[in-house]
Amino acid sequence: MEQILDVSALAAPEPLLRAVDVIKGLPQGDYLRFRHRMKPCRLYDVLKESGLEWETRQGEVVECELFIWHAGDRVAEEAARAAAAKLEPWQD
Amino acid sequence: MNYTALSLSQTPPLSVPLRFFLTAPLFLAAAALLLLINADALTVGRWSPTMLALTHLVTLGFLGMVMVGAIQQLLPVLIGVPLTYPRLTSTLLHLLMAAGILLLVTGMALTSLFLLQLGSALLLPALLGFILLVWYTLWRSPSTHATVGAMALALFALLVLGGIALWVMLQGGWHLPLAHPLTRLHIGWGGLGWIGALLIGVSYQVVPMFQITPEYPLRVRRWLTLLLAGVLLLWSASALFIPSVTWLAEFALAGLVLLFAVQTLWLQQQRKRRLADVTFDFWRLAMGSLILAVVTWLLGQWFNWPQLGLVTGVLFLLGFATSAINGMLYKIVPFLVWLHLNNRVQSSGGWQGSIPNMKQIIPVVATRRQYQLHSAALLLLLLAVGVEIVPVVRIAAGLWLISALYLGWNLLQGMRCYQHYLRQVGQG
Repeated sequence: MEQILDVSALAAPEPLLRAVDVIKGLPQGDYLRFRHRMKPCRLYDVLKESGLEWETRQGEVVECELFIWHAGDRVAEEAARAAAAKLEPWQD
Repeated sequence: MNYTALSLSQTPPLSVPLRFFLTAPLFLAAAALLLLINADALTVGRWSPTMLALTHLVTLGFLGMVMVGAIQQLLPVLIGVPLTYPRLTSTLLHLLMAAGILLLVTGMALTSLFLLQLGSALLLPALLGFILLVWYTLWRSPSTHATVGAMALALFALLVLGGIALWVMLQGGWHLPLAHPLTRLHIGWGGLGWIGALLIGVSYQVVPMFQITPEYPLRVRRWLTLLLAGVLLLWSASALFIPSVTWLAEFALAGLVLLFAVQTLWLQQQRKRRLADVTFDFWRLAMGSLILAVVTWLLGQWFNWPQLGLVTGVLFLLGFATSAINGMLYKIVPFLVWLHLNNRVQSSGGWQGSIPNMKQIIPVVATRRQYQLHSAALLLLLLAVGVEIVPVVRIAAGLWLISALYLGWNLLQGMRCYQHYLRQVGQG
């Protein structure tokens, strides 16, 4: 199932804190669709250390979207990748 | 708010950038003090020993210190590769830079050959070592982030402008003032390459992050610094070999600078929350000053009023670069204090009290007052350059001095806040 977190109207450090809070409670089978107005450089470290995987895409509603799931969670990964595939890859 | 420990694996220790950020306002205050003591320097022209010392106190002492600190902070986070031995590197670099700049500018002000040579002997190896270290770190990273490209250009520009300075000094037997034909290249690479490229790169991060604006458009992020690098190289080549076409490259550089300023103002207009924010105001002042600097530079191409060069210099260095960096410090320092505080508290098993938010770390009222002082100093300084009346210069320099000291005090409050809360949780 998809969970959406839109932090595009929040200033640092709120987006990071909100993301961490949601990620902590992300159940198996679900993925997080994280929407931000910019690429969240600081979040990647947190994701790596929390055993999460992700894809970064050019957003439609906002500039940047991340699709985040637990490593090894096949159901969530498949759904996240399918949703991410509808968007353009992120370009630095 | 449920605070959670955030990863600091790529973040250098707080002392790494902070020692640079806290020292920088002292150099700015020294520049203002120098002008206060030698108020007639503004009426003598650009090439007096006092003006050279004053300019380098701002460019090397304030802007340089902050920018070197910011690179050490931003680079590991952006590219995911930490700098080697961050604490040792920053301690050595900070000591060599602070002593080197102090000796160099004193040598300029007193036209002392010994101090100039001693300052250069400390400063040049420190900066060269820093450039090589950062390039080595960039080489180890596959990152193509636009800010990283801008940093690489800025460091290349620093190498070029340092090389030109050394060559001119050696050629001239270390004599001042240095109204040498190559000095123009030194100023161009310093202003647009080192200061300009780095501020452009940093703005790709801090403007969307803290001012709640959209990202800079992909085309701008991808092409602006590349074009800037290309045109700077063409400009240098034409200045050395075909001076008759230099104006073409200069107009192209002015166009690129204008593009950045207008793009930033446009992004600020698109911000998603319209809350009063002092960093936003500093950046608006910075971009307005940058546009005016281009206008006065253009006027200088047609009108032969010698003060126009000085007006452009004040607008660029104090109005644009200093304002932007001053505003940025009011976000970066509280953010870093908050980030490290949050992690220290969480790693100690939590704490029942509340961690101060960013607006409490440096009080907003104090930053707003300093913004007003800075704006007033800038306006008066521009007026002082125009009317060339010594008492007006003194008032402007006095306001500038108070503003610089106030900035230093405000940043120090951020550091004290960090120490205060650590003591409360028994970690100080």
